[in-house]
Amino acid sequence: MLDGATVLRVIGSALVCLGAFAAVVSAIGFHRFKNFYLRLHASTVGTIWGTVYALVGTALISLTIEEFGATKWFIFGNIIVTAILVFLLGSAGSHTLARGVHKARVARVQPCVADKLDPELCG
Amino acid sequence: MRIVEIAVIILIVLAFGLLITVAFSYIAPGTRIRPLGEFYLYATYNPYDPIVRLFTVMSPEGVTAIVWDFRGLDTLFETSVFYLAIIGALALTRGLMPAPRSEEGQGLSVIVKSVTKITAPMILAVGASVGLHGHLTPGGGFQGGSVIAVIPMLMIVIFSVLFLAKRMNVTGFLILRSIGLAIIGFTGVALFIAGLVLGVPAWVFQNMPKPGAPLSMPVEVHGALISGTLWFFNLAEMVAVASGFSIAFLILLLVKEVEFRGKS
Repeated sequence: MLDGATVLRVIGSALVCLGAFAAVVSAIGFHRFKNFYLRLHASTVGTIWGTVYALVGTALISLTIEEFGATKWFIFGNIIVTAILVFLLGSAGSHTLARGVHKARVARVQPCVADKLDPELCG
Repeated sequence: MRIVEIAVIILIVLAFGLLITVAFSYIAPGTRIRPLGEFYLYATYNPYDPIVRLFTVMSPEGVTAIVWDFRGLDTLFETSVFYLAIIGALALTRGLMPAPRSEEGQGLSVIVKSVTKITAPMILAVGASVGLHGHLTPGGGFQGGSVIAVIPMLMIVIFSVLFLAKRMNVTGFLILRSIGLAIIGFTGVALFIAGLVLGVPAWVFQNMPKPGAPLSMPVEVHGALISGTLWFFNLAEMVAVASGFSIAFLILLLVKEVEFRGKS
């Protein structure tokens, strides 16, 4: 029979698996990409997909565990708040890193198609 | 060559794993508890045992019970030392003023500023939760205050020192800090004064009833455990530490940006 708990558990497990897959993709990208900005993009894939999706998945799974009693709502709320925080701070942090590095002219954009902000860094 | 490199990496990982496994059996905490620790564990929250009841703090958090009750006087003087350190820093940098026409600086991009504006109230909530639950869960006044002091630090890095310097009232924060210390001092002598008024023996820094001193701070308020003095100490310490660290961060990072006026 298909009841609510099973549906939640299946969706949650799917999200956790997606997060694990994204973490592997992110690690490969972090290893293989050519320049700083692309590697930063790969690491952000690991933050948003690999962490936020997995956290939401564990939150859904925690709702189905009856042994926790009323505590499961605290666990659910904690995980959702953590996910929102990681979502906000991960993106803001990677944005700050990219902007700071580009403004300080530390990393060159290489290989480069176009860099409208600072053409001298291109190539 | 690649095979050699990979083999070296694998060997290093295995060696460290072996080292940690062997070392763990020596440094891992064992199950044996020393008699002193056993006493604290048994007495921290124990209204049941007729003898240990005379020493209990009625707080399930052992560390806070030790810090603010079993050795509470020591913590009081620690707080005073921190207070004096801030006073010293203020005395050294007196007459420090933002230059009247100084630019505030751009700060970081608008994305980071917006995220900071969203997360700052959340940091405040986390700090208050850590501080006010100090007698129930790990944490306490100092830890909660330190968490709250992250907010001015973030403002300094993300907006700019002068942005914060023009909006933060240092005197107000100093008054807040003094109020915190005054509450700590008053809570420490509250039962002693009550004992004087009622004509009952009582100790300075007393929390729960002791042999020969029957007065006690409230253990619960409307069914919520506050463990007598611990909750008040944590609240006041949180306010004092948060405002103290805010002043310290501002002063230390302001020195480069501003001018000294001839003010004594």
